[in-house]
Amino acid sequence: MTTRFKIHKKNLKKFIYPESVAIIGANNVKGTVPHDILLNILNTGFNGKIFPVSPGEKFIAEVKAYKYVVDIADPIDLAIIVFPSSVCHLALEQCGQKGIKAVIIISAGFKEVGEAGLEREKKLKEIAEKYDMSVIGPNCLGIINTDPGLNLNASFARKMPEEGNIGFLSQSGALCTAVLDYARAKHIGFSKFISFGNKVDINEIDLLCYLGDDEKTKIILIYLEEIRDGRALMKTASDIISKRGKPILILKAGRTKAGASAAASHTGSLAGSDEICDAAFEQAGIIRCDNIEEMFNNAIAFAYQPLPENNRIAIITNAGGPGVLTTDAAIDEGLELAGFSEETIKILKKNLPTTANIRNPIDVVGDARDDRYNIAMSNAFKDDNVDGVFVILTPQSMTDIDLIAHEVVKVSGQYNNKPVYTSFMGEADVSVGIDILQRNKIPHYSLPENMCKSFACVYNFKKRSNHKAVEPKVFAEIDKIMAHTVLDEAIKTGRSYLPEEESVRIIESYGLPVLENGVANSKEQAVHIADKIGYPVVMKVISDDIVHKFDVKGVVLNIKSAKEVQEAYTSIRENVEHLRHDARIKGIFITKMIPAGEEVILGIKRDPSFGPVIMFGLGGIFVEIFKDVCFRVAPVSKQVASSMIQQLKTYQILSGKRGNPPRDIEAILDCIMRLSQMAVECPQIQELDINPLIVLDENKGCFVADAKIML
Amino acid sequence: MDKKEVQKRVKNVVAKVLKINEAEISDDANFIFDLGAGSLQSVQLIAAFEEEFDIEMDEDKALEVQTISDSVDFIASYFE
Repeated sequence: MTTRFKIHKKNLKKFIYPESVAIIGANNVKGTVPHDILLNILNTGFNGKIFPVSPGEKFIAEVKAYKYVVDIADPIDLAIIVFPSSVCHLALEQCGQKGIKAVIIISAGFKEVGEAGLEREKKLKEIAEKYDMSVIGPNCLGIINTDPGLNLNASFARKMPEEGNIGFLSQSGALCTAVLDYARAKHIGFSKFISFGNKVDINEIDLLCYLGDDEKTKIILIYLEEIRDGRALMKTASDIISKRGKPILILKAGRTKAGASAAASHTGSLAGSDEICDAAFEQAGIIRCDNIEEMFNNAIAFAYQPLPENNRIAIITNAGGPGVLTTDAAIDEGLELAGFSEETIKILKKNLPTTANIRNPIDVVGDARDDRYNIAMSNAFKDDNVDGVFVILTPQSMTDIDLIAHEVVKVSGQYNNKPVYTSFMGEADVSVGIDILQRNKIPHYSLPENMCKSFACVYNFKKRSNHKAVEPKVFAEIDKIMAHTVLDEAIKTGRSYLPEEESVRIIESYGLPVLENGVANSKEQAVHIADKIGYPVVMKVISDDIVHKFDVKGVVLNIKSAKEVQEAYTSIRENVEHLRHDARIKGIFITKMIPAGEEVILGIKRDPSFGPVIMFGLGGIFVEIFKDVCFRVAPVSKQVASSMIQQLKTYQILSGKRGNPPRDIEAILDCIMRLSQMAVECPQIQELDINPLIVLDENKGCFVADAKIML
Repeated sequence: MDKKEVQKRVKNVVAKVLKINEAEISDDANFIFDLGAGSLQSVQLIAAFEEEFDIEMDEDKALEVQTISDSVDFIASYFE
């Protein structure tokens, strides 16, 4: 835990629950940011003291103003600076002198405008550290705390949101106002709403920790554009999810692949930062959302309803088509249609019209009114085979939409240990019902497909929380010193790439299975090595200048005799000299030819945010075409390694589907775990490819057939 | 024109444009932080300085000037 983190932890209460607030740079000009922030604080009934600070005004909005913050006699918990960026440091310095520990800098004109702005930010950071202050911003919207005991809207958002149990953190200020407007229309409330802007000092991890401990916050939503310390984010999120049971949903912008194409290895080119971000979030239990709508679809499910015990749902509908659509979507999302008990079927049969479908989905028929919905819902809730209820409505001429909505509220309130989700399909006519549902905190989705997705999201969260995470195994019998010696020596001599022969030595030092091998610099030596290894063998060129050996015809497979060894030796040298005359040949690498098996790829990549990352996937020369690969942040436990294998289509092949023999998955798991330890312990390795790793039949093991390391 | 004269006239202009008491303007006062100048007033100050000293200032450079003392140096440089 860093010193700054501890300081922020101590100071954050003063941001969120201040007893006194100074607005530095306030003015009397209506419609400006400083003026509107002051009005927002005044108008939302903040119960603390308010001090406008303005060099040019004596009173602002009828409140006495001070020229400097140091002129205020009372202690100040929170200062909000809204000066132009060029003088924010002067205001911050005075805050430090006054002993203020919490400062929000709303002003823009910093890092986002270039070098000069970055310099201004550095100055702010220095001042904050000098006085043990904590700073949120700059370039942010501010903070909102809906706690009725405080009522603080220290932002320039148009309106105060409703009170709720969702904590929202955003790197973008402008997005905040859109989110607030969106949420207000749907009666979605917030516990805390914090815009943290350029994160010069306090970042998403500090705020996440705060919300993790905040009793008023049940779930946490974050909009992020940049992750500086991915590992700290994973650790913090993982702790909050597992220890506090609070779901964390992140909308991460920037799904770009820029940069990945320049990578030299397969792993490098396949591992875009976004794929790694996806993997890291999945590993930490963070739910990644693609847009605001998806984020809030999931958020209301978590915020309003209990978690389902299992995935068996009952669908209640007054229209056949939507019932079928919902069924399809539910199955696609991994949900199950509950099989009703005999008792439920009996009651439904007795109380619903003969035209009604009493099996799941329950079709209460197009002319259904609230009484039929009541019967269907009550009995679905009562049935032990049902874990959650979906209520669907389409607006026919006789459909009493508002009464049915009230019925949903009433019945779900009587059975509040099971979740209910709704989809009143349409737009204009159903709006009255939707409004009733939203005001009463019943999750509503305009499309049943989204309803199923959100249920699945909540169910998967619940399922995951039942599993205890296992710590990664640390292998003791490895030769770390040897690996470091080879890697350090290569770096010292200015090399950026290790050819197969050296890469294999390092991989072997971590206990991965490599084949018996040798390096030849003459035909005679080649024959001697091949005779010793035993036929058939493989021969490959060794050169620091050649990364892809097949491209220069530098590989000959399945060599069965001394004569063939001599021929291969000559042809490899001639091919390389012809196709890459500038390449320096260091020798010919000879290994045992492995019996046929499944080709998979293993790799390492170092990500700027998340550090060492492991890749696993379908191997061979088509790896970049099929892209059946997945990533995890290292180190990985056996549980996580196993999830990597099972996630891929390749798993069907490895596990012996469609007539293939089952392959040695245990051996792959061992390799993934060992490689993940190497990724953590050898920071010199920037990228590594083992392609292919040949996997033999069950209990027969696997072998590294080719490898390269980028430094 | 010597700097003392420039300073006296600068303070006089600032007091008029920002409508503040000249005696309250310190030599190193910051236009925004100490004297409360807004962005519009900053532009008005440049125009007023140009008129007062009969000079044409580089507007971008002039807007970078933040304090009384800096503006005195900046304006004096036109008379060197």
